[in-house]
Amino acid sequence: MEQLTSSLAPPRSSQKSNVTTSNQQNSGSVTKRLGNELMTLMMSSSPGISAFPKSDGNLFEWVGTIEGAPETVYAGLAFRISISFPPNYPYVAPAIKFESPCYHPNVDINSGAICLDILQDKWSAVYSVQTILLSLQSLLGEPNNASPLNVDAAGLWDRPDDFKTQVMKHYRGIKDES
Amino acid sequence: MATEAVRSQVTAKWQYAFSRLNRDQPGITGLLTFSQAWMLATEMLRPKDLTSPESMTEYNMDNFRAAVAMLNRCHRLPALLETFLDNLRKAFHLIEREVQEHMTEYERTSETAIINRLLQRILQWYKAWAPPQDLGPTCLSAYTLNFQTNLFSILPSTFPTAFQSLCVSTLPSADPLVSIDHVTSSEPFWSAAEALGLMDRYDSIIASVGYEHIEAHVLSTCTGQWERSMLSDLRSWMADKVIPWMLVTYARNAQTPEEVRHLLQGVGSRFEFHMNKTLCDLRTREIFDIIIDFPDSMGALHDLKECLQRVDQRAALVQSLRRANRKRLLHPGADTKLILSQYVATIKCLRIVDPPGVLLFKVADPIRRYLRGRPDTIRCIVSNLVGDDENGDSLVDENEPIQPLQNVDVDDYSDPNWEPEPIDAGPEFRTNKPSDIITTLVSIYDSKDLFVKELQVLLAQRLLAVTDNDIEKIEKERRNIEILKIRFGEAALQVCEVMLKDMSDSKRMDTHVQVQKSSVVHPTVISRHFWPTLKTSHLKMPGQFQALQEEYAQEFNVFKPDKKLRWLPQLGTVHLELELEDRKVDVKVPPLEAAFIELFSQKPVWSMDELIEAVGSVDRSAALKALITWVDLEVLKEDAEDTFRLLEVSEESPDVPRERRAVVVSEDVPPVASAQQQQAERMKIYWKFIEGMLTNLGPLPLDRIQSMLRIVPGYDQTVEQLSMFLEAARREGLLLVRDGLWKLNR
Repeated sequence: MEQLTSSLAPPRSSQKSNVTTSNQQNSGSVTKRLGNELMTLMMSSSPGISAFPKSDGNLFEWVGTIEGAPETVYAGLAFRISISFPPNYPYVAPAIKFESPCYHPNVDINSGAICLDILQDKWSAVYSVQTILLSLQSLLGEPNNASPLNVDAAGLWDRPDDFKTQVMKHYRGIKDES
Repeated sequence: MATEAVRSQVTAKWQYAFSRLNRDQPGITGLLTFSQAWMLATEMLRPKDLTSPESMTEYNMDNFRAAVAMLNRCHRLPALLETFLDNLRKAFHLIEREVQEHMTEYERTSETAIINRLLQRILQWYKAWAPPQDLGPTCLSAYTLNFQTNLFSILPSTFPTAFQSLCVSTLPSADPLVSIDHVTSSEPFWSAAEALGLMDRYDSIIASVGYEHIEAHVLSTCTGQWERSMLSDLRSWMADKVIPWMLVTYARNAQTPEEVRHLLQGVGSRFEFHMNKTLCDLRTREIFDIIIDFPDSMGALHDLKECLQRVDQRAALVQSLRRANRKRLLHPGADTKLILSQYVATIKCLRIVDPPGVLLFKVADPIRRYLRGRPDTIRCIVSNLVGDDENGDSLVDENEPIQPLQNVDVDDYSDPNWEPEPIDAGPEFRTNKPSDIITTLVSIYDSKDLFVKELQVLLAQRLLAVTDNDIEKIEKERRNIEILKIRFGEAALQVCEVMLKDMSDSKRMDTHVQVQKSSVVHPTVISRHFWPTLKTSHLKMPGQFQALQEEYAQEFNVFKPDKKLRWLPQLGTVHLELELEDRKVDVKVPPLEAAFIELFSQKPVWSMDELIEAVGSVDRSAALKALITWVDLEVLKEDAEDTFRLLEVSEESPDVPRERRAVVVSEDVPPVASAQQQQAERMKIYWKFIEGMLTNLGPLPLDRIQSMLRIVPGYDQTVEQLSMFLEAARREGLLLVRDGLWKLNR
């Protein structure tokens, strides 16, 4: 997956080199930032996207839910994702992957890895959980078939009926696990 | 053959009887003397009519004795007695006649003396008919029994009532000047009654006379008399008045003090109990008013305490007070403040009556529950705490030492003075150790946080209302906060501290800015994070106000470059001097009014919609209110609907001189959102979080939700509160619960 990252971007490590040093002092402010993001996310009622920390003790691991936008092949379907924030967030993008199988050109059907520019080279500290979730939601309806992780899906995209069949074949839905 | 046997038997019996009566005398001389003796004895014993002269006949007792001895020898005494009793029954119509005569007379006159006379008369009959002593006690008691049986059977049904009135007449008079000789003078009556067996028969009547007498006395002397203890008075009254009566009635024949004590023991303690019970019942009925009168009703409370120890009326007291509270206190017509002060008085009163607090607990429960349901209870308590009391009638005793709020103690079993809970304490009874009033009031609610929040709101309101930096008022608030710190703890009131500091900082900052560039604007600069949410408004001050604000803001920025003023133009007051063509108007008004009148300096006629638009957007009703203020001051006039015109020249006739007065128009809407509104806002936030976590984490148990909610800054709900909240959401169909797991209903 790493190799698929656009080569145009400057290496990420350079961007964060000076940040990691102040990692320890920053963990408090990271928690604060995550808390604020959670508050913003909860108070904004964007339909179809949602996320929440897995436990009250650790704000760095979140679980998210994305519903397909209406009038797309994913309409009415819901996918669970996991969001894992690095200690130097927001200078480094969170690691995000699909937990429920998602048949999509830019999603690895087995590992759930996602190919989305803002999660890799185009990441910026001004993005937030909410913008990530919105991007993912729109990615579902508008895949980037130029850099597919799932080549079959990319090939099938132009035949919506067959594509939908494949999506439903892999779709598991969200079961209520506690 | 059979007849032969019978005949011989009869003959034998006959012979035996004959020989017994004839006593082996020659011929039938024995028989003759016997019949003479019999005649003599029966004649002598025969009950005579006292009203006829025959009763005066004197008999020779020696003859009688000889006759009786003779009869005894013949074993005929039982027959004699039988005949005598038979005659008695036959003669009883004589007594009946007299009884009826007396009763008729009594019914006509209702004179108890007649009954007394009747009793004496019957006693006369009784004595006259009594058999002589020589016949022995058996005979006498048989006579007494028969006499009484006959007497009771002929007494008419009206007699007991008459008897009762007679008993009443023997009672000591309520008038202290009348000596008790009158009581002792009734002794013959009691003796007669006893001799005739009326004492035993009418025992309950006599006792009830005593009871009623005591009851009447207690009610007449003690009703409404709460200032001092009445029990000792009542006791001495018992000793002075009732005991002599009891002596005559029950212990007439006692020879020694021991005997008296023995005779009076039972009835005496019954009467004493009755006195206590009557007083207790009376005070129980009056308890609500006694509490209202507190502390002028201390005597009554002490009496009640003492009575309750003797009479088990605690349950009745609780019931009576609860009923009175429900009827007279806990209804929408009663002011919250009133309920609170009555509650406080109840606490104080019942602590006197029942120090362990069981009664209080039982009575207080409905009041507390009711208060919890009232929206303004907290505000009322808090405003009392800070002494924001127009009537000056504070709930809190000034002399009460200020203590920190106490937590409910758990029983300390190692305490050597530990005592078990009283027997009538309910299962949920909490031994609230005599705690101060404020602690009790605050404990109406589960957490003191609500109070602290309301306190902040109230303080904010009061501070914002302070104009011209009235140092005295601010100092008063500071003093209050210091006192409250002792109660609620330093940490809880830190926010209030910041608010007070903002006030003094504002003052200092203002002084500085005024030195640099004097301005008529005197802002109060507050730290947004520490003040309660202030009601927002989109008001924009027009014209010169805007300019003044901006000017000031610039100076402020010079003084504090890292800070920026954000105006809350809707708060505060504006002192205006309007110069019109023919007059000057000097007023203090809220900002919105000022903004409107400023606009009228641009053009004389405005429509309401134009005005609202010119000041940003404000509520239409608020705008109307502001305009009405000016109409009332006769500065504006509503020409057509929603169109207002400035009156440069007063419209009224000039020959009616008007008083030019400075009118202060105050804002009556509190600018600060109340704690309860804020609470509702917070619950909305919590709901969003619950929604978020249930969407992403799936169904969760209650305790997990509670612990997850700690992520939310400032989350302060208890599990119970959360549970109630979730339950409410479930009723609204937002949530489902299965096997203790909550999930979203979608």
